[in-house]
Amino acid sequence: MEELIAVSLGLFAGTVTGIVPGAGVTVAMVIATPMLMGFDVTQLLLFYMALASMVQFTGTIPAVFLGVPGETNSLPAVIEGTKFNRRMMSQLAVGVSAVGSVLGSVIAVALTFLLLSFLIGHVSVFFSNNTKFYLYIFVIVFCVLVYNRGNVLINITLCLTGYALSLPGESDISSNIRYTLNIDDLEFGVPLMPVLIGFLIVPTLYKIYNDHQRVKQFKGNDVAFKKVLVYFMRCLPSSIRGSVIGYLCGFVPGVNTILATNTSYSVEKRLNPNSPGRQLVASETANNSGQFASMLPLLLIGIPITGSEVILFSLLVDAGWSPFQFNNVANNADMIFRDIVPWFVFANLVGLLVAWPFARQILRLFTASKKYVIISLAIFMMGLNTYLGIQDYRTVLYTVCLIVFGCVGLLIRKHEPIPLIFMFILGNDIEAVFFRQWLI
Amino acid sequence: MKKLMTVLLSVLFMSTAHAETKQQITIINNGKAGGSYNARTQMYRDGLVDAGYDVNYEDVGKISQAVKMFKETDKPTVMVYSNNQVYKQDLFHTEQNFILLEYQQPLYICQTNRSKSKSSGFTVAHGKGYDTKLLNKVLGDDIVLVPYKNSSAMLKGILGGDVDMMVNNQGKSFKYMESGKGTCEPSNLLPIMQATVIGSNIDVKQIREVMFEITMDIPFLEYHNSRQLNRPSNTWENELAIVKDHEKQWQN
Repeated sequence: MEELIAVSLGLFAGTVTGIVPGAGVTVAMVIATPMLMGFDVTQLLLFYMALASMVQFTGTIPAVFLGVPGETNSLPAVIEGTKFNRRMMSQLAVGVSAVGSVLGSVIAVALTFLLLSFLIGHVSVFFSNNTKFYLYIFVIVFCVLVYNRGNVLINITLCLTGYALSLPGESDISSNIRYTLNIDDLEFGVPLMPVLIGFLIVPTLYKIYNDHQRVKQFKGNDVAFKKVLVYFMRCLPSSIRGSVIGYLCGFVPGVNTILATNTSYSVEKRLNPNSPGRQLVASETANNSGQFASMLPLLLIGIPITGSEVILFSLLVDAGWSPFQFNNVANNADMIFRDIVPWFVFANLVGLLVAWPFARQILRLFTASKKYVIISLAIFMMGLNTYLGIQDYRTVLYTVCLIVFGCVGLLIRKHEPIPLIFMFILGNDIEAVFFRQWLI
Repeated sequence: MKKLMTVLLSVLFMSTAHAETKQQITIINNGKAGGSYNARTQMYRDGLVDAGYDVNYEDVGKISQAVKMFKETDKPTVMVYSNNQVYKQDLFHTEQNFILLEYQQPLYICQTNRSKSKSSGFTVAHGKGYDTKLLNKVLGDDIVLVPYKNSSAMLKGILGGDVDMMVNNQGKSFKYMESGKGTCEPSNLLPIMQATVIGSNIDVKQIREVMFEITMDIPFLEYHNSRQLNRPSNTWENELAIVKDHEKQWQN
């Protein structure tokens, strides 16, 4: 029952997140934090999995109907979906994308099952400091080169700022308290929530609120599911191809689903240049397949590779998690197939239902109440920050941090803050790994 | 007469209501999702409920946060506490806060099979709060000390081939021996690890009676036995003396 609640809440959050242009899984995770703090490890994983999967489905809806990407990886859906929209076939586009997404998820699970024994056989490699050292270098290089359109200077500045914020308090290699500026409350470090709200949520809500794009059209005729399936069967090879490409791209830190979608889209554009349907299906299939693959490094060895996973990681650690909670990686793998995969398949089937027949209704609901939703969210986030400050006995620090980070967040709203958040949350671990690498 | 009856009835009702008012107590769990702390804290919670207390169960992920909550509360509160935290948190055991000594266990020194041919230059994993001077004194000056965040990270480190040896708690050392990749020995030169129950804004002796009974319950004893946790069951005065004596070990 607890699992069903976690999945249902994740699906609901994913539905809302997907149709709000500009919002993403990372933002949704922050907003859901007060609820997630009461979850155990399995519930957290299920919530995240349901949320992240659902976003891939519902993100297609505004992309196809409005020409606005719900998620950053929905750009191919915008380009190809618009072509369907012009022909009054938006619902067909959303339908085949949803069916493709389900297939992509199933293929991702199957690929994981095939590769798992290899991963388990070489598990001790993943425990070594050496592996973590090179993985972190890889992730940092990606942060520096990929975000903010590859603006290295901006990304380095964000990384250094995030690292500087991670410094106060106790490090992971010494119990000495450092850089507290004589503020007692900083002994426990800079609080996570004001950083997330200030740098991520405030700019996001500002952008959504000021997005005056009007909903011009909900074009499209109703399409029977049988017709969707028939159309999809024509795109099946593209879907399978997209699944495999998406799965492999899913392991690339920082850009997994974006890379999955765009690589698959580019390949399909080359192979089938005159088929918007195949291009759309391939990219949307890759999206879901990549999403599942991106969770594996975190689930198996505890290394987050996306912004939203970093927040999940932080919540999991607060819930007492480490890969050794399930004794070893073989047990982790067992947990994935026993506890996560069935719900993952369930979430995808619900995604199919929500994204296809109810697409237009969901979209209408949001566009009619957009500003109220955003104002409510802003008030909720301020209340949440104060509540967590009281819980943490550091209300003043939480409030001051929120004001300062919120102002800075607004000033730098044109930049993606993920490198900053990544370094803030993982800065201590990265420092410890690098220090040990130097010692060993 | 009617008025008198009303007054009598209301006094009777109030005294009954007062008698049924449960004594409130907060129990802080500083390890939300697993581990023996979590299991034992839940047993205390259930035991206190059975004993008639109105228990407020606070799940706190970080130890530092739990200690801050414990220090600042003005309500009756209890918490299971580990003695290796005393320096980091500046929360020492006193006659006012000490309830009982729950268990003690030695620290273990583990060594990998592949490093057994080595005679010097060992790399040694240790917890970040450990006394490095003492480790050098026990294991020699020519070792390289490699700090880790916690016992799980140390276990992963030694399994991943980072280090030749580790100094870890009993539970993780047993797990390492199960892997077959090395051996572990308890050390009588390193400080003993202890878990205690401490309280704030409480009548220590009254709560000790209740909690001591909980630790004598069969499920609790079975849990301790299954984890080979040594329980020095004794008088309150002696237990406090043992704890204070061991705290000095961490200072030296």
